[in-house]
Amino acid sequence: MGNIFPRWTNLLAIKVLLCAGALGTCVIAVAWYSWTPKYTRVGYMPQQPIPFDHSLHAGQLGMDCRYCHSFVEDSLHSNVPTAQVCWNCHGPGKVKSDSPKLEPLRQAMDENSENYTGKPIEWVQIHKVPDYAYFNHSVHVNRGVSCVECHGKVNEMPVVFHAEPMSMSWCLDCHRNPEKALRPLDQITNLDWTPDDLDQDDFYSYVSAQTGKSAEDLKKGDEGKEWGQDLIGSHLQMAWDVHPPQDCAACHR
Amino acid sequence: MRWFFLILAIAVVATVYAIGPRGVKFSDPPFELFPDMDHQYRVNPQKPSGFFEDGQGSRKPIEGTVPVGFELPHAGNEADLTSDLDFSRGDSYFDTGLFGDFYGSGYPETLELDAAFLARGKQRFQITCTPCHGNSGNGAGVVSKYWAIPPSANLIDARVSAMPEGQIFWTITHGKGLMGPYNGVLSVNDRWAIVAYVKSLQAAAGN
Repeated sequence: MGNIFPRWTNLLAIKVLLCAGALGTCVIAVAWYSWTPKYTRVGYMPQQPIPFDHSLHAGQLGMDCRYCHSFVEDSLHSNVPTAQVCWNCHGPGKVKSDSPKLEPLRQAMDENSENYTGKPIEWVQIHKVPDYAYFNHSVHVNRGVSCVECHGKVNEMPVVFHAEPMSMSWCLDCHRNPEKALRPLDQITNLDWTPDDLDQDDFYSYVSAQTGKSAEDLKKGDEGKEWGQDLIGSHLQMAWDVHPPQDCAACHR
Repeated sequence: MRWFFLILAIAVVATVYAIGPRGVKFSDPPFELFPDMDHQYRVNPQKPSGFFEDGQGSRKPIEGTVPVGFELPHAGNEADLTSDLDFSRGDSYFDTGLFGDFYGSGYPETLELDAAFLARGKQRFQITCTPCHGNSGNGAGVVSKYWAIPPSANLIDARVSAMPEGQIFWTITHGKGLMGPYNGVLSVNDRWAIVAYVKSLQAAAGN
């Protein structure tokens, strides 16, 4: 009785393991890279019924976000403007009222238009939180978190796209380190704001009025620290007593 | 073995080429790996709903009804009930800027006229009114820089300065001429705050 297994089978097990390992590594690498909102959501740029240009309205014209998203400070939902709001500027005899791009608006608003339907414009939602997570715009906007933290520099986007992953770990990054995102309340909708725009004396007197500590003490405590987002954010966090919840029930009710 | 790695390499290159890098712009709805309960059977704000005939999730009040906390306009006058959006306003000076058929002057007694009220008016003015009327209210907003449309009213000239508060409130609410109504964007309180701020701009301009 000779050998049942021929010579080449000696290395078979090792080869199979090697191949399986290589294949597994590749599959995991691809999944790690692409099965995440960083890949699946960032860059989502749907075509809207009207090619509304945010870089023109919010950037060039300098309109405030809240001209259209008027109830973001009062509501958990940041409203898309009604057709009436568009119509206030683009109605008959006003800005670019004949533009073919505005045809859906005329269908919604212009009773003299031949295609008048009176139905709302069907804007496509870009940023969507899953239905089991309850995000509240007003609490963030009223506590110094700017639009730009989640939506990116919309004032530079001709067509708005999904700029941040909006995954749960991304939410938690900020809830664990809120000082990275807090800014003075009057600069919430100023998407180009940087800490250098802030007058240091004004800032310290504001914080001192909020916390009851003297501005001199605050300044002394900050000696040697770099003026920047972390410094401003940590003062504002203290001043407003910001403690973002990190338990499940905060967002998943 | 050699063949395996060759095929694997080709497959990897093909896959990497197909999925591309992160952050590339695309227009189809994002792929959802585990869509469990992401889309629940409920109506989200401003979203459509197949449950209703017209497909809209946001509902208007049923004809002939009034939401809690609102009043019927001109109660007792059935002819006025045709306007289905007017239910949200009561008849008081605070809600209309009118006493009967006349513009009222002065502010409603329910308002507390303090620095915070004026600051609120300034903020709302700069959000909502500035694009057309300009930061100082002089009618030279950014719109007039780029487009040749009929000029917006100069809010700090003698004509507007002579208007009673109620008339300015009424104009914000209903619009006038080319200006559209802003009652859907500004709450009643904010409209009065803007009136107060406009009055302060006029005072600053010496009118």
